[in-house]
Amino acid sequence: MKELLKYFKGFRIEAICAPFFKIIEVVFELMVPLVVARIIDVGIPSGDKGYIAAMCGVMVLLGVVGLGSTLTAQYFAAKSAVRFTSAVRQALFDHIQSLSFTELDNLGPSTLITRLTNDLNQVQNGVNLTLRLLMRSPIIVFGAVFMAFSIDPGSAWIFVGVIPALSIVIFGIMLISIPLYTKVQRRLDGVLLKTKENLAGARVIRAFCMEESETRDFVEKNDMLASTQKFVGRISSIMNPMTYVIVNLGIIFLIYSGALRVEAGALTQGMVIALYNYMSQILTELVKLANLIISVTKSLACAKRVSAVLAVRSSMTDGTLEESNRKSEYSVEFNDVSFRYSGAAADSVERVSVKIKKGETVGIIGSTGCGKTTLVSLIPRFYDCSEGEVLVDGVNVSQYRSESLRDKIGTVMQKSVLFNGSIRENIRWGKPDATDGEIMDAVKAAQAENVVAAKPEGLDYVIEQGGKNLSGGQMQRLCIARALVKKPEILILDDSSSALDYATDAALRKSIASLEYNPTVLTVSQRVSTVMHADRIIVLEDGRTVGIGTHDELLSECPEYKELYESQIKSSSGGVR
Amino acid sequence: MRRAGSGAQTETIKKLVHMLRKYRVLMVMSIIFAAAYVIMTLYAPIIFGKAIDNIADDGVNLGMVVEYLVKAGIIVAAASVLQWIMNLINNRITFETVRDIRDRAFKKIEALPLKYIDSHAHGDLVSRVIADVDQLADGLLLGFSQFFTGVVTIVATLCFMLSISWKISLITVVLTPLSLFVARFLAKSTYDLFKRQSQTRGRQTALIDEMIGSQKVVKAYNYTGRSHKRFCEINDELTKVSVKAIFLSSLVNPSTRFVNAIVYAAVGLSGAFSVVAGTVTVGGLTCILNYANQYTKPFNEISGVVTELQNALACAARIFELIEAEEQPSDAGNEELRDITGHVQLDNVCFSYVPGRKLIENFNLTVEPGQRIAIVGPTGCGKTTLINLLMRFYDVDSGSIRVEGKDIREVTRKSLRSGYGMVLQETWLKSGTIRENIKMGCPDASDEEMIEAAKATHAHSFIKRLPQGYDTVIGEDGGSISAGQKQLLCITRVMLAKPPVLILDEATSSIDTKTEIRVQRAFEKLMQGKTSFVVAHRLSTIMSSDLILVMKDGNVIEKGTHDQLMAAGGFYCELYNSQFAH
Repeated sequence: MKELLKYFKGFRIEAICAPFFKIIEVVFELMVPLVVARIIDVGIPSGDKGYIAAMCGVMVLLGVVGLGSTLTAQYFAAKSAVRFTSAVRQALFDHIQSLSFTELDNLGPSTLITRLTNDLNQVQNGVNLTLRLLMRSPIIVFGAVFMAFSIDPGSAWIFVGVIPALSIVIFGIMLISIPLYTKVQRRLDGVLLKTKENLAGARVIRAFCMEESETRDFVEKNDMLASTQKFVGRISSIMNPMTYVIVNLGIIFLIYSGALRVEAGALTQGMVIALYNYMSQILTELVKLANLIISVTKSLACAKRVSAVLAVRSSMTDGTLEESNRKSEYSVEFNDVSFRYSGAAADSVERVSVKIKKGETVGIIGSTGCGKTTLVSLIPRFYDCSEGEVLVDGVNVSQYRSESLRDKIGTVMQKSVLFNGSIRENIRWGKPDATDGEIMDAVKAAQAENVVAAKPEGLDYVIEQGGKNLSGGQMQRLCIARALVKKPEILILDDSSSALDYATDAALRKSIASLEYNPTVLTVSQRVSTVMHADRIIVLEDGRTVGIGTHDELLSECPEYKELYESQIKSSSGGVR
Repeated sequence: MRRAGSGAQTETIKKLVHMLRKYRVLMVMSIIFAAAYVIMTLYAPIIFGKAIDNIADDGVNLGMVVEYLVKAGIIVAAASVLQWIMNLINNRITFETVRDIRDRAFKKIEALPLKYIDSHAHGDLVSRVIADVDQLADGLLLGFSQFFTGVVTIVATLCFMLSISWKISLITVVLTPLSLFVARFLAKSTYDLFKRQSQTRGRQTALIDEMIGSQKVVKAYNYTGRSHKRFCEINDELTKVSVKAIFLSSLVNPSTRFVNAIVYAAVGLSGAFSVVAGTVTVGGLTCILNYANQYTKPFNEISGVVTELQNALACAARIFELIEAEEQPSDAGNEELRDITGHVQLDNVCFSYVPGRKLIENFNLTVEPGQRIAIVGPTGCGKTTLINLLMRFYDVDSGSIRVEGKDIREVTRKSLRSGYGMVLQETWLKSGTIRENIKMGCPDASDEEMIEAAKATHAHSFIKRLPQGYDTVIGEDGGSISAGQKQLLCITRVMLAKPPVLILDEATSSIDTKTEIRVQRAFEKLMQGKTSFVVAHRLSTIMSSDLILVMKDGNVIEKGTHDQLMAAGGFYCELYNSQFAH
């Protein structure tokens, strides 16, 4: 958690100034009783009204100076707490963006979102309170002890006894509750997941009339959260009464031993009163401190969760190579590649070897779950293969700087994802500085011209989050346009025409084949018709290649392909009555 | 503007109070305990004082000292127990209220029209249910634990003070509310700032939701740099608002403390003059000054709480906005749709998502039980919209849809939807085990039935190869299960539910054709004698339908059987030839 401290960089002075000014304020506050003492000791006996008025003026002045320094302290505290959190939030966001797909799969988006939002809000609150108030209490407590020693070292031992007792209670409760607060946040993750899921799956949930059972599920999760919260709350609520009892026991001892010592002539009544006052001062401070401790404990638990994510190291080390330094006739090569998802029982891709020439169009076909998507996701290095190597332009993908590698590749994923923003902004994901001309070229090539034309705003049409205001086919074509606008060297189409009708699919294939920059194309599909015109076709089954060749070759040599082909043709003719 | 703001604030407070009504007994108890505990803590110093009085320099009455100390000990013990109980009660009120609010928010989400869900950023809604509710919890807890005790302390101290000198007390009473004015003034402007902070936070959460939720696409397109920049911008904006909001809110406490310092000086001045005039003793002055201090402190604490409450209220307002959003029209009291045979009739249906931009117009269709209706057409022609209307995800603008002769707006949604089995192109599985997902439509099904359904859709073979079989947990993102496998699970889900009417929207788009044929066969069996609506691109799968609707731009342009449409030589014929002319 210490590593979070470095985010104070740039405003360390403010972060130190905040408690410093707070101390000044405390000092001025502590001077007020001295002024009152002067009034009583000097002003009143002499009946000097001028002196009394002047001293009251001094009190107001102390108030003004105190106000000034508190305002400064508050400003610095607010500024450094917010800026610290904002720096951590940015760092966390960037860190998540630097993680590889494996870590993202393992962590899951929900918890990352709570950590970026809720957890960091708590941290901000904690830092702010710490800077503003946490310094104050120890100063007053130790100040009081110091004063006690200066009055009567013999009685001061009670103070020395009270403080460890208080520390045990305060820190003990903190230690017990930090893991519990972590648990609270984890439960909160669950509640968040449920909420998110129900927004995303609203249609299916309603179609299956699951509103009630989902609500029951939520209520259960929420109940668990509430009961954990109540449990921690119960533990924290012991703190205040306990510290109250300890300090008052101290007072009882103090008065009793004071009485004995006064009788023995070692102490005066005035001294006992003074000692008693200091002990009471500790008490008032502790009441404030207890409330503070709860917030701080909570934010410590949250800070732990944040630094846990920051501590996750990407399982991929980025290469440095910007551009291939080798002349290779192959665009993509798989050399004996195997891949297994972390935590999976079996390989998803097993010993695949294939070389793909520049400009070649390769189809990848196979039954559901045979590893087609996994295989192509090794090319842009979304995952590192477990064995073997994947080469792009003759160089192992792990040697490239991943941004340079991915710049070469246009990937259209199976699941169409578009973002809140205009069509133009979405397509510019592929190329940030694309002109409207370039965008329209890509849109035309992706057969999406009529999608744009149908919107009165054209490219300015605002797509809602998740593309909710577009149909599946419209989304797919815009996703393809997004990949085409970057004019990639390698184009990966992962089942990306599944929502398109045949006519559009055929037109799309034709327009991709006639792209002037002649990219290497890898098309993943279920449909023989989508891949049969490819230069070569890879047939996968259970992660292994069972055939590589042209349509005609495979028809005669690869029984699996033949079966697929026939099943599709048969289904076409079989349907006709 | 400010008045409107405070009006809305009062409104929010009213709603919150209404929400807390359920706990009024506990709240009254909390106040009683707070009062008892505060009075005891104020009384304890008096007893200690009396004990000290017995330690005179000229003789110590040890017996009396011990007697007072024992008394003090009992009071301290009682006070701490009372405080503990009060804490427990406040704790319970707060977290149970928060739980209630979250439950209500969630139930609302389940009852909102899809239009609302489709048109709001999910991240922002999530932020309301999670972050805003949490802030409200913090505010409430502080409110209960410090507000009540503060008020009680003020009242009790005032009584003690009045018993010493009413004149000097009057100064305190008259001047102290000054601090409340200052607090109120500052609180008003902080409320607006906190609201802006919440809004900015909501927007930031929406961005986080998009960028982190779809991080894989972000990576594939090297968008990380740009998303970093976008995040940076909104983060800066949030930082600015937050610094202002937090700083301004933290002004309240020092300002009121300053007012208190002035009050203290004024009391000191008048007190000292009274002593000089001989109306008050020195001891009395010390006492009054002490009480003046004690009296003003709770004002301080309350004002601190007030700012915290401002924040909580700003958050509460956002939560209530969600909780009070208009629900889909209630169907309570509507008839249950029974014995669905699959008779569906659409009369003059008109519908558009955006008023003024027509989509479906004067759509008429009669479907007899057992018929298979195929809907084809270019992408984006309104096929999915039709499904939205049939399932009553959206209501028609005019005209009507009747099932078994009954307007679907006059029957319960549950009875209507349980008559349908729907498989959408976009697969959605909940995070949970495969078993839970398959049994979603039919939780009472036995494992044998489930496995039978899974075998029919050929999902069984891949499920049994998973490490935990049917108990494999599907993660948030689906993990290593492929899109096609997810679709198989969605189909199995419907297979198990065996509904009378089927809606298949590109249900097999991600499945390989070999499996698809087997799934089709299973569907054939399932569809026998049942009405079904099938949206498909592969015309091969729908050629045998009883009626094919060819849609374009929201209208049915052709309608008939495959043979009729082929003979007509229109758009369908063109579409068909493009698919089979390889």
